[in-house]
Amino acid sequence: MKSPVFNNGDVVADVCVVGSGVVGALTAEHLAGEGYSVIMLDAGLRITRAQAVENWRNMPFANRVGSDYQGLYPQSPMAPAPLYWPKNNYVGLSGPDADGFQQGYLKTVGGTTWHWAASSWRHLPVDLKMHSVYGVGRDWPISYDELEPFYCLAEEKMGVAGPNDPALQSPPERSRPYPMDMVPWSYGDKRMAEVVNPHGWNLVPIPQGRSTQPWNGRPTCCGNNNCQPICPIGAMYNGIHSVEAAEALGAVTLAESVVYRLDTDENNRITAAHFYDAQHVSHRVEAKAFVIACNALETPRLLLAAANERNPNGIANSTDQVGRYMMDHSGFHAYFTAKEPLWLGRGPAQSSCMVGPRDGAFRSEYSATKVILYNITAAHKAASAAIKDGFVGKDLDAEIRRRTINGVDLSISLEPLPDPNNRVTLSKTRLDPHGIPCPEVYYDVGDYVRKGYQASVEQLRGLADLFEADDFHATTSLNANNHIMGGAIMGNDPRNSVTNGNCRAHDHANLWLPGGAPMPSASVVNSTLTMAALGLKAAFDIAATLKA
Amino acid sequence: MKITALSALVFASLAGGAIAQTADQDLIERGKYIATMGDCAACHTQPRGAGKPYAGGYAIASPLGTIWSTNITPSREYGIGTYTEQDFSDAVRKGVLKDGTHLYPAMPYDAYAGITDADMKALYAYFMHGVAPVDEPPAQVTELPFPFNLRFSMAAWNLLYAGGKPFTPDAGLNAQENRGKYIVDTLGHCASCHSPRGLLMGSVSGQYLRGGSVGPWYAPDITGDPVHGIGSWANEEIATYLKTGRVAGKAQAAGPMAEAVEHSFQHMADDDLGAIAAYLKTVNAPATASTPSVASRTDMGQPVDVEPGIRGLFPENAHDSLKTGAELYSGYCASCHQPNGAGSRNQAYPSLFHNSVTGAASATNLIATILYGVDREAGGDHVLMPHFNTGSYVAVLTDQEIADISNFVMETYGNPNAAKVTTADVQVVRDGGPVPFLAKVQPHIPALMATGGVAAVVVLAGVILLVRRRRIA
Repeated sequence: MKSPVFNNGDVVADVCVVGSGVVGALTAEHLAGEGYSVIMLDAGLRITRAQAVENWRNMPFANRVGSDYQGLYPQSPMAPAPLYWPKNNYVGLSGPDADGFQQGYLKTVGGTTWHWAASSWRHLPVDLKMHSVYGVGRDWPISYDELEPFYCLAEEKMGVAGPNDPALQSPPERSRPYPMDMVPWSYGDKRMAEVVNPHGWNLVPIPQGRSTQPWNGRPTCCGNNNCQPICPIGAMYNGIHSVEAAEALGAVTLAESVVYRLDTDENNRITAAHFYDAQHVSHRVEAKAFVIACNALETPRLLLAAANERNPNGIANSTDQVGRYMMDHSGFHAYFTAKEPLWLGRGPAQSSCMVGPRDGAFRSEYSATKVILYNITAAHKAASAAIKDGFVGKDLDAEIRRRTINGVDLSISLEPLPDPNNRVTLSKTRLDPHGIPCPEVYYDVGDYVRKGYQASVEQLRGLADLFEADDFHATTSLNANNHIMGGAIMGNDPRNSVTNGNCRAHDHANLWLPGGAPMPSASVVNSTLTMAALGLKAAFDIAATLKA
Repeated sequence: MKITALSALVFASLAGGAIAQTADQDLIERGKYIATMGDCAACHTQPRGAGKPYAGGYAIASPLGTIWSTNITPSREYGIGTYTEQDFSDAVRKGVLKDGTHLYPAMPYDAYAGITDADMKALYAYFMHGVAPVDEPPAQVTELPFPFNLRFSMAAWNLLYAGGKPFTPDAGLNAQENRGKYIVDTLGHCASCHSPRGLLMGSVSGQYLRGGSVGPWYAPDITGDPVHGIGSWANEEIATYLKTGRVAGKAQAAGPMAEAVEHSFQHMADDDLGAIAAYLKTVNAPATASTPSVASRTDMGQPVDVEPGIRGLFPENAHDSLKTGAELYSGYCASCHQPNGAGSRNQAYPSLFHNSVTGAASATNLIATILYGVDREAGGDHVLMPHFNTGSYVAVLTDQEIADISNFVMETYGNPNAAKVTTADVQVVRDGGPVPFLAKVQPHIPALMATGGVAAVVVLAGVILLVRRRRIA
């Protein structure tokens, strides 16, 4: 076991990992396990689970109804995360779909998986070949088969429970079974599958990073229905678990440490990272390998902000590709009240999902979709709506009950195409408290997504008919889903990409940028497992490089 | 069938020699049941599939070093394959191996001395023919430091504390109670944990089954005393506890007791569990059946809602604001045990009042539960309460936080008169429990030996090794 060496606030380590979320922490854990000294730097505070639990209980009703999952996580005053209650406008947004790119991500040791839903999907093999199969988007420089072992490893590290019946898998191309069998379905999942699956919707269990049995000391999920914003009992995987696993192997984490500069030598290797501590005192980390895993918005921001004399347009940006091809699964919700009670809202936040429209020849024309049977209890929203509609007394009780048990909330994700104009740039006017430029994002989902939205709404109208609903409606403005991808996209050609298939920067032989940033296609599924797999793939490449 | 040659040995005394295979099989099956009652596998098989049955290699913590259990399969080279029934009996009842080596009393031969001849015969048949030989030694062998490697010293200890005779029924008990007493005193070796040990680690007269320390845990009074023991429990409740590891509104098995339920009690016949219950109720039973004026440890406490005292005192983005026992309880415990301590409706998450852990005179088992969690498989259910010790998947709590939570829980839901928990108390449990007197004096033993008191010291050296089982994490 080897640990970094500290000297008067400066650090010397084999590997410097910037960002301690799921990707950075898994990378750190693997490399610490290989015997390397690892330092992890995170801009945010280190919090306790109980603090998040109690903060959530102390939240005003409006924040809870509004699904404010950010506000209960205390943020370092020196390194703001984007907050929306009220808006702190940390990320400047512009473009036709600016409002649809209001991302919720944390700056907290352990990262944003503190408040995720633990959906642990894989891309389909065809998702990595969008251009060659459907003539849109981009192909990955690696195949699904090359990524597959790292999917398995990520599932093992995160303790994913998924269906072991191939008929329920999406995709079924797997070399190993899930570490645990699927989270059992509630009545609502079963009834929905019964009704919709004869019509091709293919409702399947969501693979989830939570326990269906005691697992490595992790308790079994008991369905608190509180995954977002915090699992109160630790039954769900959070990045903090990998942080702690890395630390048990000798890695050291520094909270409230904001990296702002990277030094390069004559071969354009990274030699040091400079960071500010909470008192704005600057320190330096020397390492043999550097990993920047700050998520797909903050990673390009740091690369651009860290421009130096040899790299005047930013680190890894010799071909002006850093910050481009930003993506998210822009989404919408569809609501209806079924004629029969479905009793949704029991079990984890998300339990089943329709993957019928996940793939098909139509993808050459418009976006695929996946349709999540949203499972966070609707009682609070039902109450707000019933009061607004004027119900009182016993009628109010009955109406809240009816809306809660018969109500269906579908969360639909759309697949964007990588567009170089959707990009992160540095604000010319706004600086964070350390004086580092805040990020700006231009976002336009494009016609591919807009056509996909139209097609999906029509399909969903038919789905609501199956439940004899007469109040179907779909939201018209697209919402962010916090699945930030792009900004340091991978490819074989340095002229139109930033990293290779191992997430290693074309410009710098000892810099890796794993996570969402290098993903060249978004698929329609939550990006975390793919990000984690890419982190592990990078970690193996780093270990091989350090050994060489 | 490979059984034949050896069964001739077993049944040598039987006339005719024509032993039906079914009779052999019945004897082996009975022996298997006795091995389960004796919980031989708890020490001689590594837990949860880590090793082959009875191949040894399980680590038993002792104050002076780790004792590794041995291979007791019928392997002729590495196990007990060459043992006659007498050799086997001497090892189990007297702690003396075929080659004359003395066992350390981590093996409860002082209790097993009471095993009847008939049961011993069946046990021997099982280990010779019902267990697959494993022709490899355990990976680790016990190597205690001088002078504790002097195994002959155990002979002296045996003179003081062991060497009992096979069980004979107590005329004052009925047949069921006598069956219970036999299980409790011999195969079940309940007193190994539930009776206190004196300075020389021998049992204390008059304190039979009155409770004792087991590493970081406290094995409570299990006599029929209605206040301090389990006299207030129905016999059926005691049997249910042994079968499932829990009785709603009373108690749950954790630590070594969870292992005993998992490996042994849940597999016992209902009649035998009923017999154990019937017998335990006779020990220290009150002369007359009157309702005691003092609440028993399973009847303490009441629901108290923690919410009104803490909610809304801090902003929703507070950092490092959880300071009091109530706040920490709410954040770390109440999601399962509920804000009023009542547990979940089906008691899968147990109530913290009417709970033997919080109603106890000492918070030891509450602290141990927080630090070591609960991990128990019984009746097809795998119960896991996560631990909050170093390496916890859920959260790592400090000594101060555990002390604050413990004091809040004992005062609010349990025995308000329990001794207050200090960080030092938590540290003791974290370090594996109170250190016995003999372990405390151990550093001085070499000097004592140099100055003469050899005989006395050798006795001490032996008795110090009488340890109660504790899993090494």
